[in-house]
Amino acid sequence: MFRRSTVAVTACAVLVTTATACSSGFDKSKNGPEQDSAKKQSLRVLIATSGDAETKAVKKATAAWEKKSGHKVTVQLAKDMDQQLAQAFAGNRPPDAFYVNSDQFANYAKGGSLYAYGDKVPDADDFAPQLRKAFTYKGKLVCLPKDSSTLGLAVDTDKWKKAGLTEKDYPTTWEELEKTADKLTSGKTTGLVTTNEYQRLGAFMKQSGGWITDRNETKMTADSKENAEGLGFAKKMLKSGSMKFAKQVDTGWAGEALGKGKAAMIIEGNWLQGAMKLDFPDVDYKIVPLPAGPAGKGTLAFSNCWGVAKESTHQKAAVDLVRHLTSAKEQLASSDAVGVMPSRESVMDDFAKEHPESKAWVEGNEYAQGPVTVPGFTKVLDQFNADLQGLSTGDPAKILSTLQRNGEQAIKKGN
Amino acid sequence: MSTSVTERPAPPPLPRRPGRPGRPGSRTTRGREGLWGWLFVSPMVLGLGLFMALPILMAAWVSLLNWDGQSNPFTPDADFVGLQNYQSLLAEDGLARSLLATSLRNNLYYVLLTVPLQTGLALTLAIIVNQRMLRGRSMLRTTFYFPSVTSSIAVCTVFLFLFQGSGAVNQLLSWVGVKGPNWFQDSRGVLWVLLDALGIVDGKPGGVLAEHTMMGLPFSEWLAGPSVAMCTLIVLAVWTTSGTFMLIFLAALQDIPRELEEAAALDGAGRRHILRHVLLPALRPVMFLVTTLGLIGTWQVFDQVYVLGQGEPANTTLTPAFLSYSYGFDNAEFGQGAAISFILLGIVLLMTGVQRWFLRERGARNPLAKLRKGARGAQD
Amino acid sequence: MRRTDPSPTATDERPVLARVPRPARLAGYALLIGFALLYALPFLVQLSTSFKTDPEAASNPLSLLPQAPTTAVFEQLTGSGDTGKDVPFLRWLSNSALVTVVVTLGRVLFDSAAGYALARLRFRGRAVLVTFVIAVMAVPPVVLLIPKFLVLNTLGIFDTYTGMIVPLLFDAAGIFIMKQFFESIPREVEEAARIDGAGVGRIFWYVVLPMSRPALITVTLLSFQGSWNEFTHFLVATQSSDYETLTTGLARFVSGGLGAGTQYPLKLGAALLSTIPVAVLFFCFQRYFIRGANAGSVK
Repeated sequence: MFRRSTVAVTACAVLVTTATACSSGFDKSKNGPEQDSAKKQSLRVLIATSGDAETKAVKKATAAWEKKSGHKVTVQLAKDMDQQLAQAFAGNRPPDAFYVNSDQFANYAKGGSLYAYGDKVPDADDFAPQLRKAFTYKGKLVCLPKDSSTLGLAVDTDKWKKAGLTEKDYPTTWEELEKTADKLTSGKTTGLVTTNEYQRLGAFMKQSGGWITDRNETKMTADSKENAEGLGFAKKMLKSGSMKFAKQVDTGWAGEALGKGKAAMIIEGNWLQGAMKLDFPDVDYKIVPLPAGPAGKGTLAFSNCWGVAKESTHQKAAVDLVRHLTSAKEQLASSDAVGVMPSRESVMDDFAKEHPESKAWVEGNEYAQGPVTVPGFTKVLDQFNADLQGLSTGDPAKILSTLQRNGEQAIKKGN
Repeated sequence: MSTSVTERPAPPPLPRRPGRPGRPGSRTTRGREGLWGWLFVSPMVLGLGLFMALPILMAAWVSLLNWDGQSNPFTPDADFVGLQNYQSLLAEDGLARSLLATSLRNNLYYVLLTVPLQTGLALTLAIIVNQRMLRGRSMLRTTFYFPSVTSSIAVCTVFLFLFQGSGAVNQLLSWVGVKGPNWFQDSRGVLWVLLDALGIVDGKPGGVLAEHTMMGLPFSEWLAGPSVAMCTLIVLAVWTTSGTFMLIFLAALQDIPRELEEAAALDGAGRRHILRHVLLPALRPVMFLVTTLGLIGTWQVFDQVYVLGQGEPANTTLTPAFLSYSYGFDNAEFGQGAAISFILLGIVLLMTGVQRWFLRERGARNPLAKLRKGARGAQD
Repeated sequence: MRRTDPSPTATDERPVLARVPRPARLAGYALLIGFALLYALPFLVQLSTSFKTDPEAASNPLSLLPQAPTTAVFEQLTGSGDTGKDVPFLRWLSNSALVTVVVTLGRVLFDSAAGYALARLRFRGRAVLVTFVIAVMAVPPVVLLIPKFLVLNTLGIFDTYTGMIVPLLFDAAGIFIMKQFFESIPREVEEAARIDGAGVGRIFWYVVLPMSRPALITVTLLSFQGSWNEFTHFLVATQSSDYETLTTGLARFVSGGLGAGTQYPLKLGAALLSTIPVAVLFFCFQRYFIRGANAGSVK
């Protein structure tokens, strides 16, 4: 028996040492990998697309750059962006350029997976300051904001008319929202449809004067009375049946519910426009600002940036590609296709002029709340979203106090 | 699902019989044979060692780290945190513990409902298909077994479609006047749904049950039963596994000596009597085998969770296996994820241990060895 | 009247008891048909839905006959339709086929070699190895998700075909099936060959393997089915969409994709096509599958 166990232990020890001694997969060189300087490089780009409209727009833009630069680009669509990127970083096989969501940005920047190329961009100052701030880590602009979006209330104009409502009836307060949603709910149509995530319902918290953290994201403010009031209002509407989550009406997201006539009003952002144009071109809708709550107007802002991997061997080409993709011309083109707002200030006025229908979204920029960007916060917010799913039967105060506790722990762990 | 052992270690090789035919100079033959032996098993030893044993050792190390996947964990710079990952899962009041508790709760109900249902259904089907007078026996057997061989992902896709809010299942239910729930979106626990329907509680019970907690989860949550969404996963599991277990029962049934049944029939026993006093006792060991296989398999449910909601709605389909995956690959907290998989490994090994122990206790015969012989057609 | 047994044995097929009275029998058959429908209906619905349009699938999910049958789904999947939808089905299919073929061939070879050594050859450490194989079989695969990723990454084969294939080549359950089978072959056959002067390699290749056809077919089929339906390993072994197989591609397509809409006919059509190879094998070689189900590995 003694012999056997010695043999086993030796075998294990040999296995472990040989395996870890040549652990090629994990090793990263200090200054990043040696750069490819070939004339014709092959780049991989990973995007989390909001739909076919966006996919087409990105492919068209990269094709134009291919022609200009002589390099080759393969655009891959992530089905589960966070998982695929996490695995790619850990496996040291990241794509060269990719979308970075603002709520994941801090995690990646802290882990050292992003190549900070802000100083390689001469006209970086043109990008909106609040967006630049969102993608700055330790004083360095890490990646260029791709675009920006805010939330608005999209109204199906046909259903609106049929219910005997006029333009004057567009809801501007919570009470009006409740009343119109009630009125519009009938048969297979639900008055208001949205998704069960803080990225939508958080707007109610904002409208009642609360938010998840304080301004500097150093302290949790989730268990405030204001937040409870905001969620309490959402709960009331959910309970009455005039508001439903997209999945409750058998759709993947609120835009689909609007397109399929299952929703009269939805809360969505700019990307709605591109998707509707492509999938449901015959549905007429209008965007109005989200109704104001007790503390006035409130909406949420979203943005992605174009990350370049620290482990990429094509950093120079990738940065060049990103500069092309975020140029004024391409931003306007993608705004036309997808509906999102440009991230360059110099282009914003053109966009507002060319897209009067997006006026409510553009105005939202003035009072919008950006996403939470604390490292290690993903699981906390996931749990919050899971709790929000049961909002119609749950207790808002309790959901918020769980969020408060989980968030405090994550902040403590992160520092 | 899983591959499980149902066989005890083979007895050690018999000592060479002295009078056995063999060539002289057997020492060299033996040395040769040893060489061949190692040659034959070396790919397997290397492969299983590299992809089964080594990963476990590595994960054991990573479970002691705070590792975000963006550096090399096998260097001295790794952020060693000792047992903290386990501590936050088991001992500290917080998100990790309440997620683990939720996933254990979900999986426990999944096991408690799936195992008896699949065993019962498989037994029923086996007894029916075993009827000698039945027409179309083999076609029925094929039908019942087919879901077991298809890919779990493909089958999940079909279920996702069938159980939509306005899907086929609810349409069927509406014909008999029942308004079906929105299966995959319904996070209510079935126990509270039932009690609510009977008018005993209103929605969710509050008071004492909601205030007191165990592992960070209130008792009203522990007792809620599987959510409606989880029930669809249970239906799916029963539907896909009953065919396999039916075959195991069937092989055992065909192994029961016909004389036993005939003798009972001659004594004037009826169908029910034969079933209760002849068939079921003879099936006991196989029943135990199937139950433990079910227990081991159901603790590992992953594919279905991945496709049918990734824990949604409201974490009621979250299982430890998926939680471990999601901590690792969605959140890049690989240390925490590895710690969860070791807790799950503990649970599954416990089940396997129980199975082995009982099979050994029951002693004499290993039911499966017999089965296999039966399947080979050797009538002894 | 087939038994689980491939070789036809003369079993007494007379019933032990007299026939059940007619009404009870009819009721029994009705119940049985109900059961069978419960098992078959999901597949029939899947088949008919893949020929429906999106709106029809949504409005009439249960009907088995599409009102306006369309093959649009299959055109889209095979690439002849609108390519903007980005379901690289052919890529998934070829990845699955490649991996499955290599894994099946490799497993049959390694399983039978190792099984033979463990069953018949006498060498030092054999008992330890048998215990090791059994211990490995007890390790639940889902526990290995993160661990496997660590190893693949360490070896530098993460996100490669090598990483997808090599770890699947070694399968303790298959070794066990082969070992069981070889133990059932009478020793005398090999002894006779040995007296004729054949070495271990020759005996294995020319004498034992040809006798093992049934077991080899069982292991082949189980390997094929296992690697075709494999999901968790590919999920952690690959990341880029170049390496997506039918299972990982379909799973990600079905579970994710905000804004992609529900597209059920497309999803069900893809699932249907991915089921066909295993289904064909199943219907042709059913008895071997049944033997496999009884051989200690429960899928």
